[in-house]
Amino acid sequence: MAKEILQIKNLDKRFIVNKQEVPILKGINLTVEEGEFITIVGHSGCGKSTLLKIIAGLVDYEEGEVIRNGKKVVQPGTDCGMVFQEHRLLPWLKIRDNVGFGIKNLDKREREKLIEKHIELVGLEGFEKAYPSQLSGGMSQRAAIARGLVANPSILLLDEPFGALDALTRIQMQKEILRIQKEEKTTMIMVTHDIDEAIYLGRRVIVMSARPGEIKSILTIESSVAKNRGGAEFSYYKKKILDHFFEESEEAIEYTI
Amino acid sequence: MRKLKDIGIQLIIPIIIVLAWHFTTTYTDTPSSILPSISKVKKAFGGMVQTGQLQEDLRVSFTRVTKGYAYSILFGGILGILMGMFPVVKKLFGLITTVIRQIPMIAWIPLVILWCGIGEESKIVIIVIAAFFPIMINTLNGVESTPTGYIEVARLYKLGKIKTFAKVYLPHALPQMLVGLKLGLGVSWMAVVASELIAATAGIGYRMSDARSLMRSDIVIVCMLVIGLVGIIMDKGLSLLFKALTPWERRSGGKANG
Repeated sequence: MAKEILQIKNLDKRFIVNKQEVPILKGINLTVEEGEFITIVGHSGCGKSTLLKIIAGLVDYEEGEVIRNGKKVVQPGTDCGMVFQEHRLLPWLKIRDNVGFGIKNLDKREREKLIEKHIELVGLEGFEKAYPSQLSGGMSQRAAIARGLVANPSILLLDEPFGALDALTRIQMQKEILRIQKEEKTTMIMVTHDIDEAIYLGRRVIVMSARPGEIKSILTIESSVAKNRGGAEFSYYKKKILDHFFEESEEAIEYTI
Repeated sequence: MRKLKDIGIQLIIPIIIVLAWHFTTTYTDTPSSILPSISKVKKAFGGMVQTGQLQEDLRVSFTRVTKGYAYSILFGGILGILMGMFPVVKKLFGLITTVIRQIPMIAWIPLVILWCGIGEESKIVIIVIAAFFPIMINTLNGVESTPTGYIEVARLYKLGKIKTFAKVYLPHALPQMLVGLKLGLGVSWMAVVASELIAATAGIGYRMSDARSLMRSDIVIVCMLVIGLVGIIMDKGLSLLFKALTPWERRSGGKANG
């Protein structure tokens, strides 16, 4: 049994909208083991991004407990990196400085070595001195992944990182992130609305329902199934996940009537 | 080739103006106190340079602009940054700055002369009144429009307030701040001339006012041309400086793929 790196217990999160409490996340329970690749699928607005931000320590929560590396999450920490849908590279910093943005308390040489290593890891050699505006969407996300990993976090959170990329680049980046995860052995939690992507990458796929965001089911996917996108088993899981949403949308229709 | 054509088109109107000027003074009996000939203006210019009067006037006006501009950057910059970063500061100063901004710079001159006399202080105060607002407002807009996504990245890496300002807010605001600085320098130059025209004992604006009372329209025109020229040089100079300061701004062309 691998080490439990993240524990979420009975997590509730509410937002105040027009003086009214709106439940965003309700009764979330999840345990993630070291080295896992977890994907979370759900409708937009189901609170999956908020969940990632809570894990990162960017957003606080009302009830429940989130424990990251044995410590209750109250603020961001170097043990947890994050990649967003928009690459969020700072336009005024060269790629190398963007990648090194999260490095603290290191002398110049070690810092450069770390940056160099991670630029190589994501395959951006030769673009160290470029500005983000000179890079394509896929390359920008590579740089953002390098920034997320540079401080050697044990967890990397990915919030729809490939959502804005074209289909071919997306598939390429999916392969890349698997390779990177294999090399770095970082625990990765990725939010996506692309069901194919969720099955391809996640060894566990968490299906979330919306308003309030709840975990509807957790599917375990064998890597042999995931590799074969055209396979019957892949389609089986895809249908299974789609059924969840279909069912849910029917409920939603009933609700609105 | 195309560029040459562009320059040619740009020069058509100026050439027409100069020709019209030349023909008016040569073939009509317009008194030279109303419109001096081009050669007379050239002579006046030569004389002013030779006696050092032009240089001295420019030096006086420049010193005023430099001081007033520096204060404007200091006050406008700081207030703009604080208003951009802290909503409460924006609320505190928002209304009053919007109201004061509506009053044209020229309209301040009588009161400023009553308060500060016709010496150096009044010129500098008028420059500050003129240049403060474009600098403040552009700084405010630049800082305020910093995407929350970038601020979140700074929070993720636990940057303190000062570091977040230096690494995120400031560079994001810089291009817009530079627009404010450019506008500010332009109006500083206008403000010094305006205030010198109304009450002064030296400076390029004073020289014009003095020449007008002596019916020396040639000197007036020399001063006007010099004012315009200095304005353009300062504007272009700042543009070059700003380009060097924000290298990331002009590199969006030629994206790499992959």
